Amino acid sequence: MSKTKIVNARGLSCPQPVILAKQAIETNEQVKVIVDNETALENVKRLGTKQGCDVQVEKKNDGTYEINLTRKAGAIVTKEEFVPSCDATPAASGPFVIVISADTMGRGNDELGNVLIRAFLHTVCQQKEKPAVMIFYNTGVKLTVQGSEVLEDLKQLESEGVQLLVCGTCLNYFEIKDKIAAGTVSNMYDIVETMSRAGRLLVP
Amino acid sequence: MNEKSQYSVMLFKAVSYVLKAEKILKKENLPHKLIPVPKNISSDCGICLRFDPALQNKIEAALLNKVEVEEIRALRD
Repeated sequence: MSKTKIVNARGLSCPQPVILAKQAIETNEQVKVIVDNETALENVKRLGTKQGCDVQVEKKNDGTYEINLTRKAGAIVTKEEFVPSCDATPAASGPFVIVISADTMGRGNDELGNVLIRAFLHTVCQQKEKPAVMIFYNTGVKLTVQGSEVLEDLKQLESEGVQLLVCGTCLNYFEIKDKIAAGTVSNMYDIVETMSRAGRLLVP
Repeated sequence: MNEKSQYSVMLFKAVSYVLKAEKILKKENLPHKLIPVPKNISSDCGICLRFDPALQNKIEAALLNKVEVEEIRALRD
């Protein structure tokens, strides 16, 4: 029984783990690759399968994975280039923006839609990654005025640095401009400008 | 009610029960919040009511014989 070569790829990001694993399996019968993220896990697994290895994965309590690659008898290690699918981290240079275009989420039933948008906003509040800006227009502006059930969530988001832009035309149309209780009254220039430079634009 | 603290959630059999309960609690001026059912309770896309445990008796009394409550759970953020 041959010795197992251990490749510690913790803390390394794609494509480093798969490159190290490939080098190791080219010269060793058995390789144990330790990774700490799922992208690396999937890529190393794919590499193993492609190289004709038996692949066993063990998930550790500390969140790392041990991938045991054992070359099957007769398996020929290919030297060909293996291209790992690294997470195409979007070159999102602009801010993360959420657009609330109605006081409902989805189309169909408004009562249900209102329940969903409230649940949505509550959940946004609890996410680690908060948007930089939230834009409210059409009936979405009704969520920002006195008596809104989500005021508490919106105020919390504001206090955490999320900018809330509320369409002034819309507040005006619904005659609730004097009741705004969260966010700042904004206009189409700011809205278009913010949407245009967004790295990611999410519309629930 | 967003502070990191103890709170309780009231679970119902259906979304319609939640809405009915919410209407009653609003009328009674009993503070509560409609939130998604926490993931550790159920992974269904459910809705429940979150409230301050200190209000549990009042809330239960308000809903008694009006809306069937499935379960109440005390939680912590």
